[in-house]
Amino acid sequence: MTARIGLRRLPLIWRVPLAVSVLMFLVSAVITERVLDRLGSIQETYLQSIANSYLDGVTASISPSVLREDSWEIYDALERLRPVNTAIVPLETIVTTPSRVILAATDPREYPSLEQMDDLQSGLFPDRQIRIESDDGLAYLERDIVYQDTTIGRIYTIFDARQLLAERRDVLSTLILTNAALTVLLVLVGILTVRRMIRPMQTLENHMIEAAEGKATRIDVSQQAPGNSETRRLFMAYNSLLDADEERRELSTRLAEEEKLASLGRLSSVMAHEINNPLGGLLNAVDTLKKHGANAGVRDASLDLLHRGLQGIGDVVRAALATYRPARQSRPLSLSDFHDAKMLLSPELRSRGQVLELLLETGEGLACGCPSGPVRQAVINLLLNASAASPQGADLFLRAARQDDGVVVEVGDRGPGLPARAVRLLTGPARRNLPEGKGLGLWVVRQIIDEIGAGLELATRPGGGSIVRIRLGPGTIGEIGHAA
Amino acid sequence: MSQDCRSRFAVALSRRRFIAGGACLPLALASGRASGTEAPGLRFGLTPVFLNNDIQLLDALKVYLEAATGHSVELVTRRTYQEVTSLLVSGQLDAAWICGYPYIQYRDDLELVAIPAWNGKPYYQSYLIVAEGREAKDILDLRGDIHAFSDPDSNSGFLVTRTLMFEHGLVPDVFFRKTLFTYGHRNVIRAVASNLAQSGSVDGYVWEVMLELEPDLVSQTRVLRRSKWLGFPPIATSRAMAGTARTKVLQKALVEMAANPQGREVLDLLRLTGFEMPREAAYDGIADMVARLRGVL
Repeated sequence: MTARIGLRRLPLIWRVPLAVSVLMFLVSAVITERVLDRLGSIQETYLQSIANSYLDGVTASISPSVLREDSWEIYDALERLRPVNTAIVPLETIVTTPSRVILAATDPREYPSLEQMDDLQSGLFPDRQIRIESDDGLAYLERDIVYQDTTIGRIYTIFDARQLLAERRDVLSTLILTNAALTVLLVLVGILTVRRMIRPMQTLENHMIEAAEGKATRIDVSQQAPGNSETRRLFMAYNSLLDADEERRELSTRLAEEEKLASLGRLSSVMAHEINNPLGGLLNAVDTLKKHGANAGVRDASLDLLHRGLQGIGDVVRAALATYRPARQSRPLSLSDFHDAKMLLSPELRSRGQVLELLLETGEGLACGCPSGPVRQAVINLLLNASAASPQGADLFLRAARQDDGVVVEVGDRGPGLPARAVRLLTGPARRNLPEGKGLGLWVVRQIIDEIGAGLELATRPGGGSIVRIRLGPGTIGEIGHAA
Repeated sequence: MSQDCRSRFAVALSRRRFIAGGACLPLALASGRASGTEAPGLRFGLTPVFLNNDIQLLDALKVYLEAATGHSVELVTRRTYQEVTSLLVSGQLDAAWICGYPYIQYRDDLELVAIPAWNGKPYYQSYLIVAEGREAKDILDLRGDIHAFSDPDSNSGFLVTRTLMFEHGLVPDVFFRKTLFTYGHRNVIRAVASNLAQSGSVDGYVWEVMLELEPDLVSQTRVLRRSKWLGFPPIATSRAMAGTARTKVLQKALVEMAANPQGREVLDLLRLTGFEMPREAAYDGIADMVARLRGVL
């Protein structure tokens, strides 16, 4: 398994030659086996024919002596008939009676006359068919001596087949060397060919890696693939892809901006409502002042009412301004940002009968260098999403707390839990393109998180609901310095 | 009878330089039977072994005899020594180099022409041999052996050992597990050296000369017992041919061989010192053995 994974990790430039060499090895193993097998049977046939002609001669010569059991004549004949001008020589020849009593042998010391040939010795000899023993390089053959259709004796011969086995070894080593040389050659050719073949792929890969790092560049088709139409088409397709991606990204940016404006419009209407709500009271107070301004008690009460009403309007306007302040006017995140968020959300919450609990566990302050604008935008989007996801009358919370070197901001809802698509959008791989359909608000959150380098986690809220947690650490990009 | 000679040829067969069989060379000098006015040639036969394997000796012998006798010489070969002996006895050969044992057997029909001399003496011995390293002291230690004889008509290769056994009250086919006739003294040595036979009876002259020529083979055997000195295998003719001019010419050629450079060459090949005039008494020992075994064989 790991080997397979390791193999897959191997670059293509090595994988193909490796496959070629494995294939060559298999092919050469099969060929070698076939050649040696064929050679072996040819040699066996050759040896058998030599042995047969030798035994034909010996048998014809010694038959009368075997009939007379004349050990000397048999021995003398064996000595005289011993071939000398051939590479395949009989090492031992033993002549016995049909009951395997030795009459004579070329080496009487090893096989004494009149001794019974034991089963171990005779067992080495297969019947009529020659047998080559590769261990000692000897070949064994037994044959009956037949005279007038009667078996009058047996002849056992041991041939020296070492030369044949040496030939076989020579063939084997030649095959191995040749195949090894061919394999090396083919592997080299394979490496060069594959390198040449995958060069366009590498170009493409490099450009894709660059693109993934956000530094996408077009491939110079005329230079990289001047003649090859296939590669040329591939590169052109990549360039087209790049163009399409660029267009989509521009569209996304535009849409995000539009979404921002859309939420601004929604909030503006809320704000108008917020301003309009006290406005009736304020106008009444002005009328009251006009009519009963002389009355000190009425005047003071009316002025107080006017003061609070205008202050409320002022708060709303300030909060809206702060949220949609251009980036260059950004300031560091502060606790007021969370108060503003709550206030901006309050009409939405009120309309749904929901309660937002603001938990600020930040001690003396945030002391976080994070830019307020994007964080506010993200928090408002999360709160809007939390409110929409939660049922009527639900209790939501917005919590900001110091943790380690940074700040943690949490938004909790009472919804049924984030859908898988939203989870993917928030925590999955970065996507620069707009999601289809809903979820634009969360996509904006994700874009902001990625832009400022913050962390985002999801958790389940005790008692039901979800928690979205933003971690603003020291690594978070502070735009304040530039903005100042 | 001519068996001894045959076994000696077996030596010659492996060694061109040496005609071990010289002592009993079945050189049958046949009476010329050519018709017409041509001078009849001398006919003698040799074993096929001899002919095929020692052309050098054969040529040298023929050339010498033709030059020394003034007759053309024809080589007559027969497959066995028995045949050569028969030819000789029946008068179809002028002379033959036979062994002492057949000579004694056919004494009434044969006449000696010359006796070869080995180391200056017309005598040789029979050896009882065993494999080198074997711990046997005398023939009684050879019980159960496969024993190699040279030939049933051989003096040194059969008769001597057979007589010895007779003296000990032993019967070969009982005392030995098996007896072989190898039809050649060199073969006896080969059989014992290879252990095909555990002991053998061999011509001492052949054994000694072969020790010089083929030390690797012969040194694998050792002499267990040497017989007394016995008459060297002689050149004989039939009694009918004895005393003829042709026989006398041949006898002269043989006896004077040592004095002739060409003859010396032949003798060197045979490792003999020369040929002597016949002495009947040289074969008394063999005659004595034959007499003792009469009725046994």
